[in-house]
Amino acid sequence: MKWRIIDYSENDAYLNMAIDEAICESVAKGGSPTIRFYGWKPSSVSIGYFQSLEREVDVRHCADLGVDIVRRRTGGGAVYHDHQGEITYSVICREELFPKDIIASYREICGWITDSLALLGIKSEFRPINDIVVGEKKISGNAQTRRGGVLLQHGTILHSVDVDTMFSVLKVSDEKIKDKMIATVKERVTSVSQQKVISREELYEALLSGFTKGKDFALEGLTDGERGRALELVQKRYLTKEWNAMR
Amino acid sequence: MRAEEKVKGGKLICIEVVPKDGKVAKARITGDFFLHPEDTIDSLERSLEGVDLERARLPGGESEMAARLKTALGSSQLIGASPEDLARLFRKAVS
Repeated sequence: MKWRIIDYSENDAYLNMAIDEAICESVAKGGSPTIRFYGWKPSSVSIGYFQSLEREVDVRHCADLGVDIVRRRTGGGAVYHDHQGEITYSVICREELFPKDIIASYREICGWITDSLALLGIKSEFRPINDIVVGEKKISGNAQTRRGGVLLQHGTILHSVDVDTMFSVLKVSDEKIKDKMIATVKERVTSVSQQKVISREELYEALLSGFTKGKDFALEGLTDGERGRALELVQKRYLTKEWNAMR
Repeated sequence: MRAEEKVKGGKLICIEVVPKDGKVAKARITGDFFLHPEDTIDSLERSLEGVDLERARLPGGESEMAARLKTALGSSQLIGASPEDLARLFRKAVS
């Protein structure tokens, strides 16, 4: 089995989510299992499928900062995707390629991230349900969905964090703060550059190695069909208020 | 009517209830949990609708709601919270 690796590219939030969905559709029709790396331009917030937009995000502040907001097809929490501060990946394949148990499959894919970080000399570990931590601090968040026999997991690896902007656009519930037993959630986040002097390019190279280790793969782009479908999904779903403000 | 809880070792769940004539007219479950397949959320929310508020507040209301939610969940997988967590939170929201 040959994996398709789609090299890092930057898109806006709507197109990023639409591309992931378009790839899911092509995998459902027999397309190659795919690993894709991407960035968010402009900086954006993505919210989990079940989250309330108004409760999770300071929508007005995002508009002032030029930060786009998109709802994901995956559950999980709200994420601030800084244009220069992180690298996002998606893994899209038939679900039979991974354990049926969802936590076990998170563990397997997140293992590629911990392997990548280990190449950079950063010791990290998978923390169920869907986080990767260095010590007690989160360095990567991940989210998975399975529809029509296709598994999609996407996630981010923080390179450098602008925590002030992050927590000015995200609203953190009192319940969550209470649970963490600390006054501020800012202390719960770290990034690659807080651990070591490593450029974003070096992080990407490490991720490419970690994700492709032991796999037969080819660097390829999107097909014309996928690109066209993604553009259609931007208009039909990801750019619409019905989708983004549905909860 | 609204209640929110961070499930221990799990995720944040929030239930909002719109009451009408002593019954649940509309229920909405939000949070950062996972549910596969995601569309099951509609069945979970619908299972709370029409519930008598007085009855839901009774001590036995919680297990009755958990049973309703479990039926609505069927073979779908809820991750980061359980039907019992949702039932407890629902009772809190309507109490």
